[in-house]
Amino acid sequence: MYFIGIFCSLAAWYLFICSKCKVQPQNSRGQCDNKTVCKSDVHTSACRRHPTNMDAVVDASAENAVHGEDGAAKLQDRLQRRHQARIEDTERRKEAKQSQSVAEEKIGYFSSTFNSERASIAELLSTCSGADRAAATQKLEDATVKTAQLQKFVNDSVCFLTQYELRQAQDALQKLQASLAETREEALPKKKFAFRSRTKAAEKVSKQATDSPPDVGRSPDSGITKTDGAPASQQCGFSYMNNAFLTKTAEEILNQDVLLTHLTNCKVRLFGSPSTLHLKHIDSCEILCGPVSTSVFVDNCRNSILAVACQQLRTHNTTDTQVYLHVTSRAIIEDCKGVSFAPLSWSYPTMQEDFSVSGLDPGRNNWNQVDDFNWLAAGTPSPNWTVIPEEDRKTTWDP
Amino acid sequence: MGLLTILKKMKQKEREMRLLMLGLDNAGKTTILKKFNGEDVSTISPTLGFNIKTLEHRGFKLNIWDVGGQKSLRSYWRNYFESTDGLVWVVDSADRLRLGDCRQELSALLLEERLAGATLLVFANKQDLPGALSKEAIREALALDDIKSHHWCIIGCSAVTGDNLLAGVDWLTDDIAARIFTAD
Repeated sequence: MYFIGIFCSLAAWYLFICSKCKVQPQNSRGQCDNKTVCKSDVHTSACRRHPTNMDAVVDASAENAVHGEDGAAKLQDRLQRRHQARIEDTERRKEAKQSQSVAEEKIGYFSSTFNSERASIAELLSTCSGADRAAATQKLEDATVKTAQLQKFVNDSVCFLTQYELRQAQDALQKLQASLAETREEALPKKKFAFRSRTKAAEKVSKQATDSPPDVGRSPDSGITKTDGAPASQQCGFSYMNNAFLTKTAEEILNQDVLLTHLTNCKVRLFGSPSTLHLKHIDSCEILCGPVSTSVFVDNCRNSILAVACQQLRTHNTTDTQVYLHVTSRAIIEDCKGVSFAPLSWSYPTMQEDFSVSGLDPGRNNWNQVDDFNWLAAGTPSPNWTVIPEEDRKTTWDP
Repeated sequence: MGLLTILKKMKQKEREMRLLMLGLDNAGKTTILKKFNGEDVSTISPTLGFNIKTLEHRGFKLNIWDVGGQKSLRSYWRNYFESTDGLVWVVDSADRLRLGDCRQELSALLLEERLAGATLLVFANKQDLPGALSKEAIREALALDDIKSHHWCIIGCSAVTGDNLLAGVDWLTDDIAARIFTAD
C-alpha cells in the first residue's frame, strides 16, 4: 500500500508539471497577458518562427527613416528587388548546404541501405536451414541482432520518410521477423520439443492410469514384482490362502512389514511385534496380531474379525468387520461401512514383552476415537462405524 | 521498476516461504513437521484436515502446510496450491505396494499449473525401517529423472530419528531463496 501511495503522488505531480508546461508557452505567445512570463526569451523564440516577416518589417522602417519623400517609391522598389534577390540567394545557398550535409537523410540513401540490409538478413536465414544446430544458433543470433538494428534504422529515419515509404519499410520488417521466427522454429525446434515431452508425460500418466488399477487394486502381487526389485518371497506374510490356520512367531515378524493378502476363511495368529501390518482383500477371516509399532493398514476387508494393538489404524474399503483394538493415537476409517470397534481383549503369554518391544503404551487406548474421513460433520456421529455392545463382545479366543 | 519488483522486494524483506507438504497417507508428513519443530512424535494420529506451522529456520520464515494424505482428502490438495514456493513430497519408503499410487499422484501434481514454479523436494522417509527402499530405488520408482519442469531433489530421511530432515529443508530453502530472493 505504501508503495502504491508514493507511486500515485509521483504520478499526480508529474501530470501537474506537464499541464503547467503546456499552458505557459501558449499564453505567452498568444495574448501575452502574463507579463512576468513574457520575457525576451519567449518573444525571440516566437519570432524565430517567422524570420522573413520580421526582416521585411525592419527593412521597411529603416528605409522610411533614412530617405525623404522624394523618389521614395523608386528607391523602395529597388530596395525591394534587391532584398528579394538576397532572400532568394540565401534560400538557394541554404538548400545547397542542406542537400550536401545530410545525404543520409535522403530517401534514396534510406531505401538502398534498407534493401541491402534486408537482403543480407534473408540470405543469413536461408543458410540456416541446412546448417547443424550450433551453426544455426549462431546464425539465428546474428540475424536477430541485425533485424533489431534494421528496426532501429527505420525508427531513426521516420522523421524524413513519407508515410508510404514508412509503411513499406515496416511491412518488409514484419515479413523479415516472421521468416526469422519460422526459421528458428525449423532449425531449433525448441518449443516443439517441450510440447512433445509434455504430451509424452501425459501419455505416461494415462498409461499409468490404465495399468495402475491391477497394480493397486485387484492383484497387488503384480504390483510388488513390478515396483520393487526384491522378489515377493522376501515379503513377510501370507497370501492366496483358503481355510487355513496360519501363525507366525515373534522372531519371524520382529520389525518386519507383514503383508496378508487374499485370505479367505482363514485364522491368522501373529505372536510378536511387527513394524507395520498390511491386510488386503481379506474375507471372512479372524486375524489376531501382537503390538504393531507403527500402523496397521486394512484395505478391502469384509466380514472379518481383527484384533490388534498398534499406534495407528487406517481402515479403507472395509465392510462388516469387527475390530478389537488397542490404539495409542487414532483409528481412522475411509470408505467403510458397518465397521464396529471394541477394546482389545485377546492376549497371549508374551504380549507384555512385545508391548515394550513395540514401544506402545499399554495404558493408553483410544479404541473408541475413530475418525471417519467420509464423515466430516462435527457433532453428529458417523453412521459408518459403531461400538460393539459389551454383551456382544468376544471374550474368549481360540489358541 | 515494475510492480513485480516491488512485490519481490517486499517478500525479500520478510524472507518468507510457503512450503506445501504432500504425500500418500501414512507417509509421515505430520511426523516430519513435528520432528522438525521439535515436538513429540509418538502420539500423532492420521491427519484429518491439515496442520500449519510457521517456523524460523536460518533466517527464513517457513510457512509449512501439512495436508492429510487420505484418499478422500487428496481432492482438497488443490486448495493449497496457490503461491506455493516449495513442494515437499513425502514417500513411505517401506510401502512398496503403493509406490505406483505414489508416482501417479506426484506426476498429477507436477502437471498442475499453480505448482509450476515450485521447487520439489522428495523425502524418502522411514529409512530407519529394515524393509525400506533406498532413495535410489524410490527415485527410479517415481521416475524422478523424467522431471524437467521443476527443480527437484530426493533425500532419504527418517522422521522418527530426525535423520537428514535438516539437510532436505536446507536444500529446499536454498533453492527457493536463489529463485525468489536473488539480489537484483
